[in-house]
Amino acid sequence: MSHAAPNSALTSAPGSAPASPATGGENALHLSGLAKCFDTTPVFQEIEADIAHGEFITLLGPSGCGKSTLLRAIAGLTLLDQGRIRVGGDDITYLPPQRRGVGMVFQHYALFPNMTVAGNVAFGLRMQRVEAGERARRVEEVVRLVELTDQAHKFPQQLSGGQRQRVALARALVVEPRVLLMDEPLSALDARIRRHLRDQIREIQRSLGLTTLFVTHDQEEALLISDRVFLMHQGRILQQASAETLYSRPVDKAAAGFMGHYNLLEAPQAEPLLGYRSGAARVALRPEALYLSVEGRTLGGDPPPHMGPARPGVVRRQRLLGNIVRYEIEVDSLSLSVDTLNRSVRTQLAEGTRVAVQADLDEVQELCA
Amino acid sequence: MAHADSLPRPLPLAEPRRRGRFRLPSSYTLVLAGVLLLLALPLVATLGYALASRWGATLLPEGLTLAWFLELWATPRFLAAFGRSLLISVGALALSLALILPVAVLAQTRYPHLDHWMNTLILMPFAVPPVVSSVGLLQLYAGGPLSLVGTPWILILTYFTIALPFMYRTLANSLRAMNVVELMEAAQLLGASPFRAFFLVILPNIRAGVQIAIFLSFSFLVGEFVFANMLVGTRFETLQVYLNNMRGASGHFTSALVITLFTVTLVLTWLGARQADYTPKEASR
Repeated sequence: MSHAAPNSALTSAPGSAPASPATGGENALHLSGLAKCFDTTPVFQEIEADIAHGEFITLLGPSGCGKSTLLRAIAGLTLLDQGRIRVGGDDITYLPPQRRGVGMVFQHYALFPNMTVAGNVAFGLRMQRVEAGERARRVEEVVRLVELTDQAHKFPQQLSGGQRQRVALARALVVEPRVLLMDEPLSALDARIRRHLRDQIREIQRSLGLTTLFVTHDQEEALLISDRVFLMHQGRILQQASAETLYSRPVDKAAAGFMGHYNLLEAPQAEPLLGYRSGAARVALRPEALYLSVEGRTLGGDPPPHMGPARPGVVRRQRLLGNIVRYEIEVDSLSLSVDTLNRSVRTQLAEGTRVAVQADLDEVQELCA
Repeated sequence: MAHADSLPRPLPLAEPRRRGRFRLPSSYTLVLAGVLLLLALPLVATLGYALASRWGATLLPEGLTLAWFLELWATPRFLAAFGRSLLISVGALALSLALILPVAVLAQTRYPHLDHWMNTLILMPFAVPPVVSSVGLLQLYAGGPLSLVGTPWILILTYFTIALPFMYRTLANSLRAMNVVELMEAAQLLGASPFRAFFLVILPNIRAGVQIAIFLSFSFLVGEFVFANMLVGTRFETLQVYLNNMRGASGHFTSALVITLFTVTLVLTWLGARQADYTPKEASR
């Protein structure tokens, strides 16, 4: 291995701040003009991204959008048709996977069944011909980091799914990769373990200051774990933004369609609700940025300062999503989703109730496409 | 592996009945006992004959002796034939392993369409009877540029084709049981070259499969007669050919030979089956 990652990465104090995004750094990842076709079908194209050292990036998108193939291309497991991949100052576009200094965690763990936990973790160090004493020390350290010290002598088939993925994580971390790639690492796990491991991954990534690219199709996971989210759709990155921006300011119809449960309206349809004619072709309204009032009382607390005109509507359906009640309201022959906080059963509106609907004008998203 | 599964296993016993009445054995037991008897009878008889000092006019052997075995094991011609059989089987297996293992790995990873072709190809040795193919081989290799008939080489090459189905199927199955592609990728991302990845990660995980393939093919090849007799015959006398040539000698002597051969094959098959039991459980859960 010829990369120059500092040996101290694992031993650095937890919480040492990673370089702030967009400033680059020695393990910054630069993707320029990446494109890949299978036969004549493009898998992804025009991929441009600058990822700062220590940044946690999530590639979010529906299945088949090319996110996993993109990740494999960065790992060197799939050949690119076009483009350049650089880590720090080094061009790794044409290096074989074993010389890229890139670590990867697979969805189905890909642990070596003939080796114990310790053996799996030590594998990368053996390949680097790290001397035995040093190897044992580093394996022990990283196994402790993923809280598997008691299981170190066990074989992968004796572990639970969550434990196996932690072994896979430790195995990738111990060689101190310059970039860590994770391909839907939590998808095969059940919900409770997924949440726990998600937080653990984020914590470890932060403490090591590891440049990380994480692939998922789970919107909630992406929003919770990332510094920035790259939203992918049909082989392109639609939007690169922080969780807040991505959620509240989608760039286009496809982005709005994938995030949350936006109401997407044509500009003329939206006019009565906004009180003005939007210059954009489409308008996106989040269900929680619409307010319902019954007999002059607004549900869910104080209304925001800039409200559109009140329009009469009828509750067509109500669904309870736990802490949220989602209403389907018919207004001017449109069907709108409106979310309200489920404070009490008393405030729930029955189907058929007449209501007034108002939009929070500060939260209106005008979409050009 | 299918071999081990096909061995009859004792059924778990139900609640013991306490009625103390004689019950007829179930039809299952009867059939099983019948089959076992049918299979064991010739062997038992042969063993009896090999151990008998004389077994002619009486119902049971007249006396027990190990003389036939001792005589057999002291015959240089027998030992030489045994050695030749071992040599040819081991040679054929080494050749098979060297050729088939890479093909199986490639067919299970990079070129899946190869698997389809191999599955058709491995039926060929079964489709063409040995007598037919040996006549063809005789015509091809009796003269001309490649005159192999009568040499051990033609047997090694022919035995390769016989071992092919056993080898390929067993190896392909054990490769399919694990995610070869992903394991190779994981190893490579950790810094291993494809070559090292194969030897450190793939090979140890199919070791059991390789051993089963070797033992099963070996026990089959040691007992092969038709090709050995037709293609080489007495010019490179193997065990089965020797047995055939000795059929005019004392029946006690040939019985000892058969029992020896059977024991060797049995031990090898048992070793193979034992390996099957040791196969590590799959990682996928």
